Amino acid sequence: MFARLLFESFRRQRRRKLFALVAIALGMSLSTAMISVATDIGDKINRELRSLSTNLVLTPAEAGLDVTIGSNTFKPEGQDKAFIPESDLAKLKGIFWGHNIVGFAPFLSDTKKFTGPGGDFTARLTGTYFDQPLQYGNEKFSTGVKSVNKSWKVEGEWPSDGGDDALAGASLAQKDNLHPGDTLQLADRRLRIAGILTTGGAEDDSIVAPLHFVQAAMAIPGAVQRVAVSALTKPEDAFARRDPAGMSPEMRDRWYCSPYANSIAFQIHEALPNVQVDQVRQVEQNQGKVLSRISGLMLLLTVAALIATALAVSAVMAGTVIERRQEVGLMKSLGAGNALVASLFLAEAALLAIAGGLTGFAGGVFLARYIGQSVFGSAIVVAPVVLAIVVIAALLVAAAGSATAILKAMRFDPALVLRGDA
Amino acid sequence: MSQSMLRTSLLLRLLVKATWVRRDRALTGLLSIVVVATMATVGLTVYADLNAKMNREFRGFGANVMVAARNEGAPGAFTDADAAKILNSLNGKGSGAVVHYAIARGASGVPVVVGGADLKALLQLNSWWSLTRADADILVGARAARILSPNGAPFQIAYNGRTLDIKPDAIFRSGSEDDSRIYINAGAFAQFVGSPSPSPMVQVRLEGTSQQTAELIARLSSEFPEASVKPIRAVTETQASVLDKTRAVVLAASSIVVVLIVLCMVATLTGSVLERRKDFAVMKALGASDGTVSLMFAGEASMVAGVGGIVGFMLGSAIAWWIGQANFGSAITPHPALLAPVVLGSVVLALVASSAPLRLLRRIQPAVILRGE
Repeated sequence: MFARLLFESFRRQRRRKLFALVAIALGMSLSTAMISVATDIGDKINRELRSLSTNLVLTPAEAGLDVTIGSNTFKPEGQDKAFIPESDLAKLKGIFWGHNIVGFAPFLSDTKKFTGPGGDFTARLTGTYFDQPLQYGNEKFSTGVKSVNKSWKVEGEWPSDGGDDALAGASLAQKDNLHPGDTLQLADRRLRIAGILTTGGAEDDSIVAPLHFVQAAMAIPGAVQRVAVSALTKPEDAFARRDPAGMSPEMRDRWYCSPYANSIAFQIHEALPNVQVDQVRQVEQNQGKVLSRISGLMLLLTVAALIATALAVSAVMAGTVIERRQEVGLMKSLGAGNALVASLFLAEAALLAIAGGLTGFAGGVFLARYIGQSVFGSAIVVAPVVLAIVVIAALLVAAAGSATAILKAMRFDPALVLRGDA
Repeated sequence: MSQSMLRTSLLLRLLVKATWVRRDRALTGLLSIVVVATMATVGLTVYADLNAKMNREFRGFGANVMVAARNEGAPGAFTDADAAKILNSLNGKGSGAVVHYAIARGASGVPVVVGGADLKALLQLNSWWSLTRADADILVGARAARILSPNGAPFQIAYNGRTLDIKPDAIFRSGSEDDSRIYINAGAFAQFVGSPSPSPMVQVRLEGTSQQTAELIARLSSEFPEASVKPIRAVTETQASVLDKTRAVVLAASSIVVVLIVLCMVATLTGSVLERRKDFAVMKALGASDGTVSLMFAGEASMVAGVGGIVGFMLGSAIAWWIGQANFGSAITPHPALLAPVVLGSVVLALVASSAPLRLLRRIQPAVILRGE
């Protein structure tokens, strides 16, 4: 009997039910989108920050002092003999947090004398990976400045890693009148300028060539002076700042298994023992603050939006019940008890809430994906648990909205209501 | 009193009384408008202030502009007086530190870069340096300490015959080339290096949007032609990119919230007009024209919407103020300029919401409505 009443209610008042369903679906799709954006934005901004600069730097443990002022390097007499073996670099992908290593770029530099179309000049020659394919175990990947230093801008073409094309820094090119297509002579080797590089840093005064070319020119095959690493890290908190040596085994495991910059640095040092790993503190220390502000803001906006949604949806549900007070009056005058009437309306509200919650979730996933794609160029991930949250929230809100209206409707005198006077 | 004035006062009394008599139904309508107006105000107020709040967070990234001599050692080069003038001209729009560098020699002739600066200003700008000791006169970079003083013992550096004793008790870690340097007070540096003093370099943090920064850079370049004023692109681009993306997300989220809630609310408002079809029918039966009745309904709706818009604006501004305080540590102040669009939007929303049901009611005969169908 109850089931038939419920079924008939849906069949006969289709438009009203659809109307309530749409309201719930709208509210729930909004909630889904906001919750997903608020939870994923931290990760998206983190990746954005990572793509623009590297946050870890590797140098040989026995390296000497870096004697640079601005973009001028002063090499001491007798070359620095400490290097990182290039063959060790792929091991970076093998550490515990290997998947968090977005990429890396090795560097090898020296001051060299070049002969260009305008004459002789002395400049820094820097070797690096542009987009070098590498393999670690069964994993093939490619890495280099193209992927870890997105702030490097090239006018012209990027050189390939195996050839003898190079980039000329913008300031250097201006000073010595270099253009793409020019050929430089370096001792007994030739370099073709493929493009002009603008970075805003020391590379603007350098010639940047493939690493293997520079290794050959310096007669030190397989050597690397410095590696810039880009790793996705968790911002430093009080736990991360503790000394791992003084931690209990469980604490230390927790530290090791969290992608803090210093635990990743520790793991890199485990894989490459002769390497000094430093955090680029300017980036690492500040990104955590920026991320927490942005996440915090989105969280607060989400809470406000969810409250507004709850009010809106419950207002709609209350409205639909009040519209049907004549039905309530009719049922009561036919002898139905308060409990039966209330449970009928609540059951309707529950069914609407579940249907609305599911459709709303689907809509919200599209909304979240659209926002992610248009702002970050990558979809925002919606956790499946949000579906459960949204359906439960829909049930609560629909029930709360209907309940207050049902209570009010039941207090009306059935006779008055049926007459149309209430 | 003239005819029209009488009519206006009667209309107003009708509107107010009508709303007052059905106050709890009117309250639902008011609540709907308040919710929409509040969310719209919160979204717009936060979006308007986001630039300023986020730029403050980026202060920790340090210098975003580097000023140095264009031609090292050339006559008419960038002097200390010029550097001081640049710092003074910033007045409130930024902060900076002047640094001089020289290459001294440590034990066994190892070259090391020594920098002379106002250490307090330098540390404020480079806030991410981790120091073993605060307020020291000599700051030794971690790598310099490791190589020049592996046992922590004091060591000596020499420049042009003069020597300086260094006690490495304030060691800093930065993760950049600064770790290979030793920084000392400007006065001590001048004494150690003597004359001619090396060309100064000025690290500057300019506050403001990327456009304001670019304008300031252009102004400084033209005022000081012997200096090269360059943005530190790694910092400026990071800031611009993150700011743009955050603003886009806040705008998108706020728009979606407002649109969807407006849709929900239109439903509620439409329902409340349909609820009053008996009043509509009575007025028509008494001889009122369609226009008069519509005017009355629209008038009521606008009045409620106006009040709702104002309340929503105040509530929304309060919430935005609190969001600023809770999240950024500095309140987001209300924007009075938003009051007019929010109230106007609320009134338009109410009018649009009531126009559809009114059109529907006009088609039905009053007698049918009064009969209860």
